[in-house]
Amino acid sequence: MGREAFEVVVANHHAEIYRYLRRVTARASEAEDLSQEAFLRGFRAYRTLPPDANVRAWMFAIATNLYRNHIRTESRRRAAHATVRSRSRENDGEGPEGEAMFNEAKAVLERVIEGLPLRQRLAFVLRKIHDLSYEEIARSLGCSQESARAHVFQAFRKVRQGLDGHALPRPEVPV
Amino acid sequence: MSPSSSSCRQIAPDLLRAAMGEASPPAAERVEEHVRRCAACRDELHRSRDVDRLVTSLGRTPVAEDRSHAVRGDLEWRLAELRRRAMTCRVWNSPLGPILIARSDRGVVLVEYLPRSGDVRASRLHRVHGIEVVEDTTDTEAFYQQLLEYLAGERTRLAWPLDFRFAASDFQREVLEATAALPYGAVTSYGRIAREIGRPSAVRAVAQALRRNPLPIVVPCHRVIGGSGSLTGYAGSKIDLKERLLAVEGVRTAHAPRDVRILRAAMYTVADRDPEYCLPTCGSLSTLPLARLTLFGTRERAEAAGLAPCTTCRPDLHPLSA
Repeated sequence: MGREAFEVVVANHHAEIYRYLRRVTARASEAEDLSQEAFLRGFRAYRTLPPDANVRAWMFAIATNLYRNHIRTESRRRAAHATVRSRSRENDGEGPEGEAMFNEAKAVLERVIEGLPLRQRLAFVLRKIHDLSYEEIARSLGCSQESARAHVFQAFRKVRQGLDGHALPRPEVPV
Repeated sequence: MSPSSSSCRQIAPDLLRAAMGEASPPAAERVEEHVRRCAACRDELHRSRDVDRLVTSLGRTPVAEDRSHAVRGDLEWRLAELRRRAMTCRVWNSPLGPILIARSDRGVVLVEYLPRSGDVRASRLHRVHGIEVVEDTTDTEAFYQQLLEYLAGERTRLAWPLDFRFAASDFQREVLEATAALPYGAVTSYGRIAREIGRPSAVRAVAQALRRNPLPIVVPCHRVIGGSGSLTGYAGSKIDLKERLLAVEGVRTAHAPRDVRILRAAMYTVADRDPEYCLPTCGSLSTLPLARLTLFGTRERAEAAGLAPCTTCRPDLHPLSA
């Protein structure tokens, strides 16, 4: 009572949680089922959430837990890694020349991220794509902030190595 | 200095952190200092920053097969379903013993006397399929506070939103709604309710419907008694509770062997839909069956129900002795 209705939580966070799950799952149908389940669970547990809780981080934690259980329960892990993805993503609109380079680099990057160990991959996506704090990532993964930091660092190191020898799009204004 | 020199190897982790924008200020300074002197590490820093930017840009690009819109539509439908099935409850202590109050999104759905242990597992909620119940400490608190005031005689109305979904049939629902309209402090018979809903011969069915009242107190089935004036039954065999609830409302009862009865001769009486209340001896009232009467323990209660004193027997001038 007194807190915002759960509809507001759905309105504010559904798209992002869905996209998070879509990024870490191999198939669109998995992301659909998991995001549904995450919000149904959220709905049931919502009343027990402290009023000052960070609802967004809480939803990420639910989604992350569900995904990890999902991976664990079956031999889906292997299947997920074996799945060949054919993703057609739009580019950032960097002009025709940069476009091919961008798409190529991004395809390599996605493959490298897919190949990361589970916790590194989740920590990395949560940190670098969804901009969660290490405290929030630690809560999602059930580990310490130091471990969360180490996961992201290791992931970035591998990503950096994985892109060795690939041309990278350069920003127009060098930093 | 070659990139494989020991200082380069040492700086490598901080260099990566700096590229991610996560190096501590002293580490970032060390990196700056190092790359000023080392061209290879400078290149490495730039390349790592490019990688970092590429990674971050993933967040701005659409995901493949983005069906979030359709998925959200499904989700909202399922949440609406869940909301319809969801209830919260809590067992409260009351002067009448442990009482469970349950509510849905539409209103109070169940008021239930529990055994003395107050064990929520004894509730009929756990025998109903297709609902999801969670215990909640605060959701029904406002109802409970009003209930306490009511039982203390400090409140005459429980204006709660009600959810009649536990009515077993349209018939029971009609009986409950007719009963809910009985004024505070009034007593009538099952036969009267049967007449109210246009089923004058369904007296026993009315009694059965009220026996299974899912909303006792707020749907005041305690104000409905047998045609003989006997309290007959309440929530199974809890006649004592019925007697206490009536006493709160100013209705006196008398114990006969194996029976508790209202004192019809000591109550103000209203025939059918008469806008006036009378002394029980007025005209032919004493000969009418209870199925045609509504009785009040006090004049105040009759007048609070919008009734005027009868101009013939003048109960206002000749009140019944208390």
